[in-house]
Amino acid sequence: MPRFSLSALGADRPGIVAAVTGVLVDQGCNLEDSTMTILQGQFAVLLVVSAPDATTAVALEAALAEVTGPLGLVVAVRPLAEPPGGAGTADEGDPWTISIHGADRPGIVHAVALALADAEGNVVDLSTHLIGGPDAPVYVMMLRVTLPAGRAEAALAAVSGAATALGVHCTMHPDESDLL
Amino acid sequence: MAVRPVLVLPHPVLTARAAEVGLVDDAAGALALDLLETMAASPACVGLAAPQIGVGLRAFAVDVTGHRKARSCHGPFVLFDPVVVSAQSPEPAREGCMSVPDLTGDVARATRLVVAGLGADGRPLELELDAFEARAVLHELDHLDGLLFLDRVAGPHAVFPRKVYR
Repeated sequence: MPRFSLSALGADRPGIVAAVTGVLVDQGCNLEDSTMTILQGQFAVLLVVSAPDATTAVALEAALAEVTGPLGLVVAVRPLAEPPGGAGTADEGDPWTISIHGADRPGIVHAVALALADAEGNVVDLSTHLIGGPDAPVYVMMLRVTLPAGRAEAALAAVSGAATALGVHCTMHPDESDLL
Repeated sequence: MAVRPVLVLPHPVLTARAAEVGLVDDAAGALALDLLETMAASPACVGLAAPQIGVGLRAFAVDVTGHRKARSCHGPFVLFDPVVVSAQSPEPAREGCMSVPDLTGDVARATRLVVAGLGADGRPLELELDAFEARAVLHELDHLDGLLFLDRVAGPHAVFPRKVYR
């Protein structure tokens, strides 16, 4: 069963999710994973879908475009290699949550991500928020990361150093989960 | 006694550890009154820590009177040099902060709490709190260690835009 990544982006308005998923149902697709959110008034859709065997990315994108075009969405469909997961490393290593906040300035995300990458840490989820007024904008960055087993301390020290160099506040805690 | 401006991020006093008060003297008494009056001036405010009004001292005011989520309620009170005696039964709930504009977050905090410190009269004070009053005290205690709810949330999906603040 072929799998595809699907992205759609456009000015937010009611009905976008209904329209996109309506096409997917018509095409016999199964929605395997999704994230949808508003970014500064733009509604962003990222999906992984599985589809009937004969489906092609070009055909699926064309079917979507008929419906999403009038809604002002830009849609892209790409085939995904099987087996599922590919080279993903999200399940490996120790999960941590990192909170960063401070005066807005260019390069915060890059500096933190670079420190993580150099330490072989993997970003598995990231969201940022620009808050406060124009006089004193504040950047808030929340990350969920996985860090190489046994080397979390070095990775966290690198992130902490990057935050200090940027003059932003940084705290981190392990993701605890109890199986009940 | 005065209503003081409430500082917001990225003011450095909000991310620094506050210093012990030690002795509740006249200046500390004046700080207590300012905390209570500033807190009362904002209708939705149930707690205010000294760093939020620019004072790097370990003091906060809390008042959950009339709040629908409150069970224990000690009315308006001030605590200096507070320490947690015991904290149990954490539960997540959404909270905001006057010093963090535009956002709220889900934070797990103890719902049964014993906290000790010095009262506004300078005498030792120990309080047994639960539910929303315990949450409010723990939120304010974090301020004294330079921590905000943003440092306590469970992850990227535990932070939410706040439609209205102030």
